[in-house]
Amino acid sequence: MEEHYQPTSRKIFFYTFFSALFLVFLFRLAQLQILYQDEYGKKSEENSIRALTRDPIRGLVFDRHGILLVDNRPSYTVTMTPAEFDTSRIAHLSEVLHLDVEFINDRLNKGVAYNRLAPVKIKRDIDFRTLSMIEENRDKFPGVHYQVELKRYYPTKARASHLFGYTKEVSDVQVSTMPDEYRPGDIIGASGLEARYERALRGVKGFEFITVNARGQLVSPYNDGRNDISAKEGDDLSLALDGSLQAFAESLLANRRGAIVALDPNDGGVLALVSKPDFDLTAFGSITPTEVWNALNYDSTKPLFNRATLTRYPPGSTFKMVLAAAALQDGVISPQWGVNCTGAFQFGSRVFKDLHVHGPTNLIESIQRSCNVFYYQLMLKTGFDRWTRYGREFGFGSPTNIDIFEENSGLLPSEEYFNRVYGEGKWTQGYLISLAIGQGELGVSPVQMACYAMVLANKGHFHTPHVVQRIRSNQTGELQQIPFDTRQLNISNFVWDLIREGLYRCVNAPGGTAPLAKVEGVNVAGKTGTAQNPHGKDHAWFIGFAPFEQPKIAICVLVENAGFGGVAAAPIAGLCIEQYLYRELIRNKPIAPIAVKANEHGARTN
Amino acid sequence: MDNWFKEHVDFPLIGIVVLLTLIGIASVYSATYDAGASIFFEKQLLWAGAGLLLMIMVTMVPLRTLQLLSYPLYSVSIMFLTIVLITGKTVAGSKSWLGFQGLGLQPSEIAKVTTILALAYYLSHRHVQLYRAKNIFITVSIVLLPVLFIILQPDMGTAIIYLGMLLVVLYWAGASNFLMLTFLAPVAAAVASLFGITPFVIVVALTLAILFLLHENRFFSAIVFSLTVLVGVSVQFIFGKLPLHQQKRILTFLNPDVDPLGAGYNVIQSKIAIGSGGVFGKGFLKGTQTQLNFIPAQWTDFIYCVPSEEFGFLGAFAILVLLTIVLFKGIYISSIVKSRFASIVAIGIVATFAVHMMINIGMATGIMPVIGVPLPLLSYGGSNLLTNMIMVGLLLNMYANRKEY
Repeated sequence: MEEHYQPTSRKIFFYTFFSALFLVFLFRLAQLQILYQDEYGKKSEENSIRALTRDPIRGLVFDRHGILLVDNRPSYTVTMTPAEFDTSRIAHLSEVLHLDVEFINDRLNKGVAYNRLAPVKIKRDIDFRTLSMIEENRDKFPGVHYQVELKRYYPTKARASHLFGYTKEVSDVQVSTMPDEYRPGDIIGASGLEARYERALRGVKGFEFITVNARGQLVSPYNDGRNDISAKEGDDLSLALDGSLQAFAESLLANRRGAIVALDPNDGGVLALVSKPDFDLTAFGSITPTEVWNALNYDSTKPLFNRATLTRYPPGSTFKMVLAAAALQDGVISPQWGVNCTGAFQFGSRVFKDLHVHGPTNLIESIQRSCNVFYYQLMLKTGFDRWTRYGREFGFGSPTNIDIFEENSGLLPSEEYFNRVYGEGKWTQGYLISLAIGQGELGVSPVQMACYAMVLANKGHFHTPHVVQRIRSNQTGELQQIPFDTRQLNISNFVWDLIREGLYRCVNAPGGTAPLAKVEGVNVAGKTGTAQNPHGKDHAWFIGFAPFEQPKIAICVLVENAGFGGVAAAPIAGLCIEQYLYRELIRNKPIAPIAVKANEHGARTN
Repeated sequence: MDNWFKEHVDFPLIGIVVLLTLIGIASVYSATYDAGASIFFEKQLLWAGAGLLLMIMVTMVPLRTLQLLSYPLYSVSIMFLTIVLITGKTVAGSKSWLGFQGLGLQPSEIAKVTTILALAYYLSHRHVQLYRAKNIFITVSIVLLPVLFIILQPDMGTAIIYLGMLLVVLYWAGASNFLMLTFLAPVAAAVASLFGITPFVIVVALTLAILFLLHENRFFSAIVFSLTVLVGVSVQFIFGKLPLHQQKRILTFLNPDVDPLGAGYNVIQSKIAIGSGGVFGKGFLKGTQTQLNFIPAQWTDFIYCVPSEEFGFLGAFAILVLLTIVLFKGIYISSIVKSRFASIVAIGIVATFAVHMMINIGMATGIMPVIGVPLPLLSYGGSNLLTNMIMVGLLLNMYANRKEY
C-alpha cells in the first residue's frame, strides 16, 4: 500500500513545474546574455573603465627670425580627487593653500558632478613652500596631490602683453557652451593671440583609460594603456613680429603712455605692436591672483587697455594726406594749386589759426611744413563727401581686421553722421575746418594709422595687418601660411608721388616738421601730428616709413599727452626704423634729449 | 561487489554534486581573487572535503535509525535556534550565527535537515492523514516552530525556504487541492495587492474560479475566499499606513529598478555581470564585474553572477542543467522509494534545493525580488555547504534503501 501512495499526477506536476522553472531561467539567461549582451557589455565597460584627460602642451610662438617668444615652463598645481578627499580637512587645506573654504567646496562639487575619480585642480603655480607643506602632510590630506603643469613663460625682453595676450581658466559659461572642448579647470586664451589662435594653440586633449573597482579606486591601466590616446601638442605660431624691435619699441615708451605699431609695407605683417603702460604677462602665467587683477583693473593709466588697437584719438595733421589725395585724385585741384598762408584763416565770423605764416604754399610744401591754411581752403574746395569717401578708402572708420580680437573702428564723420548727431541743417561748413586738419570728431587708432602709413609707403596696397604669418603643426610638421586680404586703393601714381614727396621733405628738407625722425644712411619719410586733447597736453603722432625708395617698414607712433608730434613721436619712430633696418642702433645715444623750440621744430598744426 | 555498488549507489548524482561543488569553489576563488582569495578558497575547499565525508556517512545510516533520531535531532536544533537568539553573533543584521572557537555555525541551516526528517517521520505514521485538522495543524506547526525563531533573527530568506518546503511536502504527502489553495490563495493575494489593484483582482478571480472547480464544502469555500480577500485588502491597507520610506523599501524590493543606487544596485550590477558575459564569457578571473567587486556578496548570494560573467551563457546554462538534474533525480528517488518516510525526506530535500535555486537564480537574473539565500552547493559558506552535502547524502541514502519499507 505505502509504496504506491504517491499519485502519478503529483509527480508529473513537480516534473512539469521544475521543467517550467528551468525554461523560465533558460529564457532569461538567453535574453540577458545573447539578446542584450551588447547593452550589458557596454554597461559593464562604463562601470569599470574611466577616461582621465591628459592636457596637451600649448603651442609656442616664434618671431619672424625664428626666435622663441612664448614658451612653456613647468609649474606645480595642487589637485584634489573628490573620491579620496576627506571633507573634514577642508578648513585645514584652505589655510595651507590660502583659499576660501567655499572655493574648495565649489571645486569639489563640480568635480563630483563630473567624475569623482578625476583630480580637480584647486590651485595653480604654488610656491615651493606650499609644495613642501603638501608633501609633508600627505597623510593629513588624502586625495590631495600636486601635478606638474605648464605655464606660459616669455624668454625674451619682448613683453608684448597686449599682443600675446594671457590665458585663464575657462568660465562656467564657456564650459557650458563648449562642453565637448572644455571642462572646469581647463586653460583658455583670454586675450591677444592666445585668444585669437586658441584653437591652434591649445592642442588636442589626450585620454588615459583606467580600470576602477566598484568604489571608483584605480585598479590598473585599462588594456595596459593600449587604448590610451596621447595628448596632441598645440600648433606653433610664426609671427611677422620682430622680437628685438618689439622689445626696443617697448623700451622707448617706458614710463610713457602711448602706442607703436610697425608694419611690413610689403605684406602687412605686424613688426611691432606696443601699448604702454603694459603689464607683466608672467603674472598671468597660470592663474592670476585677484590682487594682481584688481591692481590692473583699477590702475588709472589702464594698463590692460590695448592702446594700439582700441584708442580713438583725432590724428591731427597726419590726416592731411587723405584730403590731399582726395582733391588730387578727383581733379579738384591741380598739383600746382596753392594758397598764400597768412597764419590765419577767416571763415564766417571765426578765425582759424596756423602755427606759422607759411606764405605761398603748394601741396608738397603743405605736407612738408604742415600748413593748416592750405587744408582749410582745400577742404571747402573738395567737399565733405569726397573727404569721407577717401577717408574710408584709406581704411578709416572701420576695423583693420588685424588678427587680435579687440579693435576699435574709430570714427570717420560723414554728412549722414553729422545729420544724425546734430540734425539736418544744424551744422555748418565750419565743422569741416577742424576735420581738414584731423581734429574734431575724427577718431583713429594707431593700427589704422600704421595701415595708413603702409599704403602711403607702398602706393596703395592695403594689406590686412596680421601678426601671425604661419602656423606650424607639431603633428605633421606642416606649415600653414595664413592668408590675408589685399585691397588696392583707387589712387593714381602721380598722386602718390606728390604726396610721398611731401612726406620725404617733411623729414629731410629744411622747414620740415619731422627732422627728428631722420636715420643715418636711410631715407625716412613721414608726417607729424598733434592731436588736441580737451583733458590735457596734446597727443603726439607720427606716421612714416623707410627706406623711402623701397619701404621695408611703415610705422605709427602715438605718445599721449606728450605735446608736439615732431618732438615726442618722430624721434621714437626714427629709432625704431633704425633698429629694424640695421637690426641694431648705429647712433651713439638712443634718445638725445632735445631742447624744444616751438618755432624751430614745432609742428603744432591746429 | 560491483553489482552491489551499482545497485545501491547513485553515481551520476554523486558526480553532478561533486562537479557543482567544484564549480562553486572555482567561482568563490574568482569572486574573492583580489581580496586574499586563498582564505575563502581554502576554507570552502575544507568545507567541501568535510561535506563529502559527512555525505558518505549519512548515506550509510539505516533508515530506521534516521526515523528514531528525527525527533531528538529536531528538538536539539530548536534548542540551538533558541540559543542563537540569545547568544548569537549578528552578521549582516541577522542574529543567526553561533560561534564555536573560531568556527561559525548557522543553526537555521542544519535545522533544515532536522525539520525535514521530523516532518517526514510525523507524516509517515499510518494514522496521520492530511484531511484531519489536527494532523494538518501538527504538520504545519513542525515547520512553523523553527520558522518563528528564524523570523525573530530575523532572516526572511531562510524562513521562506522552510515555508516553500512545507508547501511542497504537504502537496506530495497528499494534501487536497483545496487545502493547498487555502494556504496559497491568501499569500498570492497579499503579494498581488502590493503590485496593484489589477493583479489583486486577478488573484481573487482565479481563487473563486478554482473554488468552483473544486466543488468543496460551500462554507469552507466561502471562508477561504473571504480570507483571501481580507488578506489582500488588509495588506493594501497596512501598506498605505506605512511611512513613505518603508513603502519605498517594499516597492524597491518588488521592483529594484526604481532605486538604482540603493536596494536596486545589487540586481542592476548582477544583471550587468550576467548579460555582459555573453555567450562564451570573459574568461576565468577576467570578469570585470566580478574582479572589480561591483556586485556585493558575490561569493555568497550572488555567486551565480561569477560563472555567468566569466563563462557566459554556456557556463550559466551548464549550472542550470546540473541543478535541474539534481531536482529531477530527487523527484525520481522520492517516487520510487517504498518507504513513505524516505519519499517525504527526498521530496523535502528536493523542495529545499528548488526553492533556494528559484529564489537565488531568479534574484541574480532580476526576475525575483532580492531575497538573500545561497545557491545550493555553489555559494560560499560552511553551514550551508555541509547542510547541502548532508541532504545529498540523505538522497543517496534513500536511493540505496529504496526497497525498504
